[in-house]
Amino acid sequence: MKQWSPSYPLAFLIALIAVMPVAVLVVLAADSPQLFDTRNLEILSNTISLMLFTAAGAVVIGVPLALLTAYVRLPWSKFWLVLLAAPLAIPSYIGAFTLYAAFGPGGEIEQLTGITTPGFDGLFGSSVVMALYTYPFVMLTVRASLLSLDASLVNAARTLGMSLFSSLWSVVLPRITNGIAAGALLAAMYALSDFGTPAILGLDTFTRMIYVEYNSFGLSQAAMLSLQLLVIVGLILFIESRVKGTRERPGKALTLWPGRLRTSLMLLASMPVVLFSIVLPLAVFGLWLWREGAGGFELTYAWNSAYAALFAAIASVLFALPVAQAAIHGRFGRLMERVSFLGFGVPGIVMGTALVYVGLQFSMLYQTLALLVLAYVMRFLPLAVGAVRSTSERLDPSLVKAARLLGASRKEAFRRITLPLSVRGIVAGAALVFLEVMRELPATLILSPLDFETLATYLWRVYEAGYFGQAAIPGLLLVVISALALAIMFYGERWNQTDVLEEEPSVS
Amino acid sequence: MQRRRFIQSMAALAAAGALPFSLSPAFAAVSVDDLPKLEGELTLYLGRGEGGLYENVLKAIEERNPGFKLRIRRGPTASLANAILAEAKAGVKRADLFWAVDSGAIGMVTAEGLAQPLPADLTGQLHENFQFSNWTPVTGRVRTIPFNTDRLKAEDIPDDIMALADSDFKIGWAPAYASFQSFVTAMRILKGDKVTSDWLRGINKHAKKYAGELGVVMAVERGEVDIGLANHYYSLRLKSGKPDARVDLAFTRNDAGCLVNASGILALTEGDLPINFIRYLLSKEVQSYLAEQAYEIPLVDGVKPPEGLPNLALISPPDVDLTKLADLRPTIDLMRNVGIL
Repeated sequence: MKQWSPSYPLAFLIALIAVMPVAVLVVLAADSPQLFDTRNLEILSNTISLMLFTAAGAVVIGVPLALLTAYVRLPWSKFWLVLLAAPLAIPSYIGAFTLYAAFGPGGEIEQLTGITTPGFDGLFGSSVVMALYTYPFVMLTVRASLLSLDASLVNAARTLGMSLFSSLWSVVLPRITNGIAAGALLAAMYALSDFGTPAILGLDTFTRMIYVEYNSFGLSQAAMLSLQLLVIVGLILFIESRVKGTRERPGKALTLWPGRLRTSLMLLASMPVVLFSIVLPLAVFGLWLWREGAGGFELTYAWNSAYAALFAAIASVLFALPVAQAAIHGRFGRLMERVSFLGFGVPGIVMGTALVYVGLQFSMLYQTLALLVLAYVMRFLPLAVGAVRSTSERLDPSLVKAARLLGASRKEAFRRITLPLSVRGIVAGAALVFLEVMRELPATLILSPLDFETLATYLWRVYEAGYFGQAAIPGLLLVVISALALAIMFYGERWNQTDVLEEEPSVS
Repeated sequence: MQRRRFIQSMAALAAAGALPFSLSPAFAAVSVDDLPKLEGELTLYLGRGEGGLYENVLKAIEERNPGFKLRIRRGPTASLANAILAEAKAGVKRADLFWAVDSGAIGMVTAEGLAQPLPADLTGQLHENFQFSNWTPVTGRVRTIPFNTDRLKAEDIPDDIMALADSDFKIGWAPAYASFQSFVTAMRILKGDKVTSDWLRGINKHAKKYAGELGVVMAVERGEVDIGLANHYYSLRLKSGKPDARVDLAFTRNDAGCLVNASGILALTEGDLPINFIRYLLSKEVQSYLAEQAYEIPLVDGVKPPEGLPNLALISPPDVDLTKLADLRPTIDLMRNVGIL
């Protein structure tokens, strides 16, 4: 019989905190006159379409790139991996805005080259942008599954006469469906909770409508819409909980050594993705900077962004540890983990509003950095939990048992065995939270302390007023700092794979 | 038609330099040199920052008054108004002043009785249509029809906003934007709900939606749409950054299409300091700066309106009480029922 884990009470407390904004929403929504009407149906269908197209697009782009970066021996392989994961460092709203400005009649592309390009908006535009900025999730999760697969099955298939492609298709693909599903669900969650992209590209989704209602003093309608959105989020979480991680015996991962021409062709084929998601936005920023110049920017904004994000990253990891432990331990812990995931689907503006009401009940918290950090933690805790759990899960439980057998207390075993072995997951999780917090806008706007301007809020300020040139420097800084966090995340991931990769040169 | 006279005389002022306003006994703008020194600390909730222009004003005021410290909270106007209401309900008080870009948000706060009364000599600096007992407009903005100059001339645009519904123009609009919603509220007040719904439906058939009115003006300029519905300053700012921009402004006559609305400020704390701070915003220097740099319409006498706002004498805004524009809820419901929100 399984014992109750000591992590349960803590996890329960954290889950309770995570439910708090939902409770506030229920109270606020009680005043709403409309439960659901035909307009909601349209919003619902837009939201679901965007979610499905985003997930599909992310899979179509992400899976081949995962194969490329996991199995093909590339020159400067680390560089290509970072480059292909770099869209993570660019907030999708920046992508949406720059792509929107670049394409279409009269857009920047037409002004520079004279070639008229089709406009870029609506469901199509939003789906493309969201797919371009969420595919790294699919790529990274699938790549992790690919690297955990033993190559001997593929080798066996190939010695038995199967071509490379069909062996990948029928031997590898069935074993990574869970990885694909996990990545696709992450992409879907993103599409559900993102506000900037559909707002800029003119697609009426739940998040945009929540924002519109909120800004027209329809607080109760906004709360009602948020609850409806949460129902969809809950559904996705349920599906996600059905996706089981496969356990295979570890082995050396497949390595392919294609010729120089083929390697170049494969890399060339992946370049359009890099072009649209990274080069174009940076080029448009550069153009605006050149045309309109910087101005009015203060470095404190970057500093504010960075340390708020750092606090949030540390706090998220501290919160994530007990939740992840509980989730590994048993069913009740799994449930706690699911509950804490709700925050991921609460749009920032809703989280901000709910926490204003919570903060006002405890007025010493109101408008403090602590409350803002709490909002970040509640929103991005799932990212940290996911990263911590995935490393802790792979931990061999017999190590802890051995330590306990040798007389170590529970605490000591955790400190000396579990923690050091989960460090890479913790680092990766913290970096991921850092990335997200850096770009978070709506909750920051509502909850930040007085005189607290971040890169994202400054960007919003100049965008609203129409001074694009001034958006260039903070935009580029945001990308650079995010890229650093991304590098740290990969550093964490590298530890993750040293055990597999380091042996390779001697084998071949 | 007080408002029309006001705009006309502004145009006259622009033409003749700074003549005293003869039709109404408004005071001439006060120079900051004649204002009392500010001492102490104030917390300002600032709805949108105009990309540094409002900031520059606030910084300049602080620099003039070394003993004065301003703490600023920035955010979307509506969410700040929501925060002020929620704070009042919870008995927490943070803001001494609320500077909003939209008079609707001001109306929300004044309706709850949170705004402090302002002295008559302060409100008296503004034209009488802009005088209110517990808040004061800071700058004005007029609704306009920006059009693409490659495709259209000013004469092609009807001077009746209602006629746009049956026109062939491709129209850009931003229904989620606060100023647009105030404009629809004005139309509701002037024409009734039924006519307004029909108009919205008519426009919606040949309209393209944008997130904000800057987006509308940009779309007009790049030819994505023929005309747009937007506040005047977006076009003027676009043209200042890009002098050859293919956009110009047209105005309707005496209807909601050329509504003059205002950004405004109110004091939430009693005392002289908040009121004296407001005096600085109405000073000649600040009003001139906002007119020249942000292309907003100054509302005190003796300050030139922004350059590039053409034919002011021809603008005939409707007679709508600005405080009535706070009646936003029915507007939102109507827009939702028509299916454009």
